[in-house]
Amino acid sequence: MAVFAVLMLGAAGLTACDSGSTDGGSSTPGASANADAPVTMTLWHNATTGDGKTFEETTVADFEKIHPNVTIKIQAIQNEDMDGKLQTALNSGDAPDIFMQRGGGKMAAMVDAGQLMDITSFVTEDTHTVIPDGTFAADSLDGKIYAMPQSILPGGFFYSKDLFAAAGITSTPTTIDELNAAVTALKASGVAPIALGAKDAWPAAHWYFFFAIRECTSDTIAASAASKDFSDPCWLKAGEDLQAFAATTPFNDGFLTTSAQQGAGSSAGLVANHQAAMELMGAWDPGVIGSLTPDGQPLPDLGWFPFPEVPGGAGAPGSMMGGVDGFSCSAEAPQVACTDFLNYIATTPVQENYYKAFNSPPVNIEAQSAVTEPYLQDILAAVNSAPYVSQWLDTVLGANVGNALNVGVVNMLAGQGDPASIITAVSDAAAKE
Amino acid sequence: MTDSTRESSSENSPVNLSTTGSSAAAALLPVGSRQRRRGIGWPARLEIAVLSGPAIIMFFTFVILPVLMAAYYGFFSWKGYGPPKDFVGLRNYLTILQDPTFHDALRHNATIVVLSLLLQGPVAILLALLLNKKMRGQSVIRVLIFIPYVISEVIVGTGWSLILSTAGALNAFLKDAGLGWLAQDWLSNPKIAIWVLMVIITWKYIGFAVILLMAGLQGIPDELYEAAAIDGASYWQIQRRIALPLLGPTIRIWAFLSIIGSLQLFDLVYIIWGQFVAATAGTSTMATYMVANGRTSGNYGFGNAVAVFLFLITLVVALFYQRFVLRRDTAGALTGSKK
Amino acid sequence: MIDAVEEVTLRRAPKRPWASPIVYLVALVLVSAMLAPVAYIIFGGFRTNSQITVSPSGLPHPWVVENYLEVLRGGIFWREVGNSTFVALVTTAGTVTIGLAASFVLARYRFNGRAVMYSLFAAGLMFPMTVAITPLYLMIRSLGLVNSLWGVILPQIAFGLATTVIILVPFLRAIPNEIEEAAAIDGCSRLGFFWRMVIPLAVPGVITTAILSFIGSWNGYILPLFILNDEANFTLPLGVQAFASQYSVDTAKVLAFTSLSMIPALVFFSLFERRIVGGLTGAVKG
Repeated sequence: MAVFAVLMLGAAGLTACDSGSTDGGSSTPGASANADAPVTMTLWHNATTGDGKTFEETTVADFEKIHPNVTIKIQAIQNEDMDGKLQTALNSGDAPDIFMQRGGGKMAAMVDAGQLMDITSFVTEDTHTVIPDGTFAADSLDGKIYAMPQSILPGGFFYSKDLFAAAGITSTPTTIDELNAAVTALKASGVAPIALGAKDAWPAAHWYFFFAIRECTSDTIAASAASKDFSDPCWLKAGEDLQAFAATTPFNDGFLTTSAQQGAGSSAGLVANHQAAMELMGAWDPGVIGSLTPDGQPLPDLGWFPFPEVPGGAGAPGSMMGGVDGFSCSAEAPQVACTDFLNYIATTPVQENYYKAFNSPPVNIEAQSAVTEPYLQDILAAVNSAPYVSQWLDTVLGANVGNALNVGVVNMLAGQGDPASIITAVSDAAAKE
Repeated sequence: MTDSTRESSSENSPVNLSTTGSSAAAALLPVGSRQRRRGIGWPARLEIAVLSGPAIIMFFTFVILPVLMAAYYGFFSWKGYGPPKDFVGLRNYLTILQDPTFHDALRHNATIVVLSLLLQGPVAILLALLLNKKMRGQSVIRVLIFIPYVISEVIVGTGWSLILSTAGALNAFLKDAGLGWLAQDWLSNPKIAIWVLMVIITWKYIGFAVILLMAGLQGIPDELYEAAAIDGASYWQIQRRIALPLLGPTIRIWAFLSIIGSLQLFDLVYIIWGQFVAATAGTSTMATYMVANGRTSGNYGFGNAVAVFLFLITLVVALFYQRFVLRRDTAGALTGSKK
Repeated sequence: MIDAVEEVTLRRAPKRPWASPIVYLVALVLVSAMLAPVAYIIFGGFRTNSQITVSPSGLPHPWVVENYLEVLRGGIFWREVGNSTFVALVTTAGTVTIGLAASFVLARYRFNGRAVMYSLFAAGLMFPMTVAITPLYLMIRSLGLVNSLWGVILPQIAFGLATTVIILVPFLRAIPNEIEEAAAIDGCSRLGFFWRMVIPLAVPGVITTAILSFIGSWNGYILPLFILNDEANFTLPLGVQAFASQYSVDTAKVLAFTSLSMIPALVFFSLFERRIVGGLTGAVKG
């Protein structure tokens, strides 16, 4: 590393006209404004296969063409390993320059530790034109922006129209009772009704979170997320709803050790191979499912419907939960090069490529009009008309409490706990911090 | 019993305790020490320092110091970056003691300890006795049963995960063989997951037990067998009356290594059940608890407290075992006489 | 009478007899049980993903070599083999030399504190890597060795010292004092004695510890898991897990990668198998 820096310094000395400090290594916090100084950055993302991986490589290559002095090294990290590795890297001062950011409490922890670059002043006018302020809110804290959003990923049911038709289901469920009926019909037709990747814990928790969105008001949710106090009875009610639903055994066999996205045996793989009829998942799922079909192409009969309504719930109908995936710059990253990259990936052509590669909704409103798939259009319509969109609760709550909540839900689904134990899992986790 | 412990390779050298015992006592008591009392000259001191210095320094830096640091960090609430600032005293330790998830993990470890001994011990002894004859193919068989031990736990875990998954090879094989009703959620069913884990552990480590016991058997002089044979004893009588008792020390050593290894189990569980669901599946161990609640959740103070706990438990078990079980084999290098 | 019998037996070429069929049957069952999962992994690499999905427990039909070839052609496998080899060799060399030196001191010098030193190393047995990993990672981080192979090598050496010392001290102890006295009479210093006589005599014990150290390092997972972040630095076990999750879509290729990863350890073991068992035998005899 030291050798490299020396070489780069030498090269810089030979080429640059600018007398500013030109350290060619990867850490020059906000130093020179000279865009010609050679800069190397590292980028971490979680698209390990297929078109998503290619998209990242192509985007980086295109950016490097526009900025010939910039080199970006890419590392694709499996989604489930990302949080741990990122945390280790950030804490040991060895952080990548550009990395995937999900916002919420996990981002807040990084801000607290001074590990993120504040990009508020670097987001260009052009970017602000195509990305609404509301979307930036997911990646902001105290009014400062810490990440560039890429994709808006609300949750809902991705289902196989063919399997539904084969089971005699004529319209997508809008209430929990209708969902139960659908489950019964699907079981009778010999297919696993719902795929669940409980091994990764968060897919199970999403069920709980959605019941909570239906049972709790948006204020309660926001307040509990901030205070980590789940004593409001709506949280317990949500757990009871989920327990009752799970009692009908709607999930695939062996869901406890089924992963969400890894391999043909994952929950996405089950849907992709028509071994399960639907799964509750975020809007990244079409891309994942597409990579797991036998021919590697998007599933032709894929459809989407939002989480059904729960009668008597206090949550506003149509409320949704979702995440916003984006990219952050680390505090040590080269300021100009990094923020240039972030603005670049927000531009319409890149966002359109993003949508085509990942088959998920882009944040760029111009790119959104290019979306053709009906299920993506449904998702965008639902999100745009939702009275309240919460971020994934485990992201909001941060790693410690979030993980504990996720595992608490898994325990309940596996018959090892009751709704109250989900709540206690949270306070238990808080005690370990 | 894990490959991760091989870094200190406690179970690789079954010799540890026997030599820690008898030879250790001898090791620390050179022959004729009472006769010749030489003073230690400076050249000798220098030699000692130079020869043992690197070992002491490395050992202290990477083994002793982290223990001490862990004890220190365990008194804090700490996120892992910057210096620890939030002193909480014994709170972490109290939390561990009161956490039902930890109790579960401890229970699982205890189960693994006991079942490892019960499942592997008798079978390994039997096999060792069976294979102890000098016969054609002895070394081939020896090599083949040792293979699982040589393969890393990661590979073992990855392979078995694929075989045992609900839609995997084992269930498919059962269905093809007409035994579809035997198919289970081998890994997901909390009632049977721990047993499945025990099968995998036994599969991996029984070869080591057999090899170790065979090595111990080779230390028994043939004359004893011949004498008994002359007296008219049958093969199995000889094994039972002569070989088995003389195998005692080796068995006790193997048991010690098995116990320590079982307490440390991590790799296999982590690979097969992942970061989150080991506890739900009934296969969590203290080590997976430590990683899940420490590193994965960013609670470094708590994680260190669990590490100290794990160390103390292992230490207590080891000392207990040394004093009470190995006492008759050894003079006790650690607990016994000070020479 | 006995001598005559012995003479006769010595002169005849020792031919190992066949054991009873029961023994071989038991052995067959045992070996099959041991090797069936290994065979599954190896054969799996020769199939395609659709073969595996359609018939999870069948044999390759047809045999497909692409998976193995791709893994062998790709850079990842060889890079990780290289990393693992480097780490294991340096670890072994370090453990053996440093451990041998320390064992010599413990075995053949008398000084105050020797019992304490010995107990220190023996206590290290009870504090294996798993327990130490959390504070050890922090220690490595403060030394700036995170993500470096040395951050894996140095702790492995340190943790290997306990076993090495425990094994080698009796070996060195067993060298009769007469030899040492004879060497001293001939004008050899203690260090010279160490170089010229002890090391050759300690070779069996050294080989045993070297093998154990090598295998332990090669198969180590938790230490690289915590220390190594950059894929380029991964050792093989870490690489297997990373490959398995990254390419989880491609089960056949994962199996190919996994089975190729077994080979170095198996080769190493088969080369040194006799030494391992011999070393264990000698050590157990004490």
